[in-house]
Amino acid sequence: MFSFIARRTAAGLGTLLLSSVLVFLAVQALPGDVATQVLGKDATPDAVSALRGQLGLDQPAWERYVDWIRGALHGDFGTSLVSAKPVGGEVAMYLGNSALIALITVLFAVTGSIVLGVIAGLYRDRWPDHVISTAGLVGMSIPEFVVATVLVLCFSVALPWFPAVVLYGPEASVGQLLPAVWLPALALAIVMAAYIVRMARTSVIDVMASEYVTTARLKGLSTWRVVTRHALPSALLPTLHVIALNVAWLAGGVAVVENVFNYPGIGKLMLSSVQNRDLPVIQAIALISAVVYVACNLAADLGAMALNPRLRTRGRTR
Amino acid sequence: MASIVSVNSLSVAYRSGGQDVSVVHEVSLEVAKGRTLALVGESGSGKSTIAATLLGHLRHGSRITGGSVQVAGSDVFALPARELRRLRGNTVAMVGQNAGHALTPSMRIGRQIAEAGGTVPVVELLEQVRLPRPAELARRYPHELSGGQQQRVAIAMAIAARPDVLVLDEPTTGLDVVTQRSVLDLIAALRDELGLAAVLVSHDLGVVAHMADEVTVLRSGRVVEAAPTRQLFARPQDPYTRRLLASVPRLDDTGLALVGETGEREVRPRADVPDDAPVAVRAQDVTIDYGKSRTVHGVSFDVRRGEVLALVGESGSGKSTLAWTLAGLRPPSGGTLTHEAGDLAGPAHRRPLSLRRRVQPVFQNADTSLNPRRSVGDAVRRPLRFFGTAADRTEAAERARRLIADVRLDPALADRLPAQLSGGQRQRIGIARALAGEPDVLIADEITTALDVSVQADVLRLLDDLRRERDLACLFISHDLAVVRGIADRVVVLRHGVVVEEGPTEAVFAAPGHPYTRQLMAAALEPDPDAQPYVDDTLDWVDAADEDDLWTDQGDSHRVRRWRPLNAPVAEGVS
Repeated sequence: MFSFIARRTAAGLGTLLLSSVLVFLAVQALPGDVATQVLGKDATPDAVSALRGQLGLDQPAWERYVDWIRGALHGDFGTSLVSAKPVGGEVAMYLGNSALIALITVLFAVTGSIVLGVIAGLYRDRWPDHVISTAGLVGMSIPEFVVATVLVLCFSVALPWFPAVVLYGPEASVGQLLPAVWLPALALAIVMAAYIVRMARTSVIDVMASEYVTTARLKGLSTWRVVTRHALPSALLPTLHVIALNVAWLAGGVAVVENVFNYPGIGKLMLSSVQNRDLPVIQAIALISAVVYVACNLAADLGAMALNPRLRTRGRTR
Repeated sequence: MASIVSVNSLSVAYRSGGQDVSVVHEVSLEVAKGRTLALVGESGSGKSTIAATLLGHLRHGSRITGGSVQVAGSDVFALPARELRRLRGNTVAMVGQNAGHALTPSMRIGRQIAEAGGTVPVVELLEQVRLPRPAELARRYPHELSGGQQQRVAIAMAIAARPDVLVLDEPTTGLDVVTQRSVLDLIAALRDELGLAAVLVSHDLGVVAHMADEVTVLRSGRVVEAAPTRQLFARPQDPYTRRLLASVPRLDDTGLALVGETGEREVRPRADVPDDAPVAVRAQDVTIDYGKSRTVHGVSFDVRRGEVLALVGESGSGKSTLAWTLAGLRPPSGGTLTHEAGDLAGPAHRRPLSLRRRVQPVFQNADTSLNPRRSVGDAVRRPLRFFGTAADRTEAAERARRLIADVRLDPALADRLPAQLSGGQRQRIGIARALAGEPDVLIADEITTALDVSVQADVLRLLDDLRRERDLACLFISHDLAVVRGIADRVVVLRHGVVVEEGPTEAVFAAPGHPYTRQLMAAALEPDPDAQPYVDDTLDWVDAADEDDLWTDQGDSHRVRRWRPLNAPVAEGVS
């Protein structure tokens, strides 16, 4: 069991290292010289080379990579080319705002969609299943920015319950942001839930048709007990990895929705830094997305282990 | 005596394409307290459906179209949900076919048993089903138990609440003979001890003869015949029952039994294999490893042209591993494996085409080894083109039709998909596909295990015909001694990857020399309630073979690995 955890963690760290190299190389491969970009086309060659020296661009790539990674491990991602502030602090501020949306989204989407998926599975081919499955399909096929726009039309234009856009900057407090969080979170949850509901429904149907669930029923157990004790642990297993992938997808999905609502989150920061060629910030965000992906998948693996005794007891003899 | 179970002209149907398809048609039966009724029939006879109705259970989409099921005085399908739950477990309990699938994988077995209700402590229940170290076992998960242990746990779960009726749906079908015997003995002992009425569903007439007081024979959802066990086996009335009984291979058949339409039985003498028949495949000291563990330890045998050599043993004896190696799916780790046309030690993809086509496997599950999206004609045609045995498309199509006719199927079936054929027809296609390469060696790995008895008899007959017609060398792998007795010319008995006995079939069955062979024979069940079971009087034994003195020769190439009774002086030793 410990070797399983150790192997998975090591694989996660390896993935992170590899993605850090890729992120670094990708940024290097971007067309154009950073110094020229920052200073503009008309800059003198002297000024350009001076800035190159200042940014360390005259050193070999691998040295810059090592420097970058060493700094990143200590939370130092360099200095923003646009705001001239440390990247670490800036990214952390935006990230915190996004985390607020992500947390609420995950909370609602995961619990809600599992419940709906299980209900659809249990009432297979009857009306609750038809309603949930159709709604899920609709949610799945509409892009998140359309969902977001429709939500704005309904809940801030027609019914003025929530603000349509955020008027605060990134320094806003949680209390200031809280009213603005619900619509983006709902938009993301709808798109995300669709996949999880479908997966949960399918695996609940599979498991409910299995022999051990029939055996449990024929033991005279109540439906509630059969579902919660016998069916759910196995039914959630395949759902777990779909959840992990979806939570990781949030990192990207958030970017689009945040722009619709003008929400000061990581997605907005990413978009503006790409426009401004703020390379240290782009690198930091890319690396953080990789961390999120790896962390989500590791969490799913550990969750699978908790649900599946085969993984836990591996190595024990008969 | 009053009946505790009574089924009155029960009809069950399921809806398919807007029409009711009848699966059970006006079936009636009664079981008295303390008696055992067997429901016998082939697949599709509705026997499992009827058994499940005793617990008020119907498969998704099925419904009762007539009649009633009464258990302990209450009409099962009229009970409100709460009462029905109380009936399940407390009055009627079920042991299913495959305990490996019937136990919830994510729950410790102790909790699963405790859940079944009743006041008997879990440890006591586990002791009652003769499981060792019950306290420790209760904390395990199902996958940590062997198949036999899982089935015992399922039985413990069924008797936990001390029910009055036990429904046993093919309780030993997935188990090998030795385990089957011990599980059946356990069920019989518990049934007598607790005074249970039992309904036993089985396709295995040996099991039925051994366990039941009364038998009801079913066919396509209708009762064909119902009689006390002894009477049914001695004087079967209906031609279907007679044919069913005649199809069961017996341990004392001296050749393959051919069964007529009305159940007359004729034993065909074995084919003569000339002494100078060329050796098709020779295995010498073959060892096979899975990772670090060795599953086959230095096995040697010859298969000659026109001969059927049987590899016999329990699950885990290494017999299927050997078949896989011979087919080139798993390379051996030592020894030599040769065909008259070349070396068979390499994996199949490295064998020259000319050699590959000459050694062909037929697998146990024809339904999973055929591509479900290809017509069966296509499945036979492809190897014809691949091995170059057919020159062009039209010839291949023509030859495929002929091969399908050769395995006694209607060539018109060539356009069907595997799912549109019956199990027996699919297995014939599996054989036809193997024959497409014009092999001289056929590897038949448990090819009749998944089939009904009457279908099994037909497939065995086909195999016997083919080896005569085509002078095939056949390696026949089976755990069923009675089947082996009918079809094989020579037998190799494997235990834990070691050959413990080998010789001509007649000699081995007449005088089994090794205690393990005797144990296998004693565990085999004959379809005859009065059969005198083969008595295994051997006490505990240990292997006594050493490097230069491995065998006790019993003449006529029948030899037995040396062994001695446990706790006896070495000198007295050899049997």
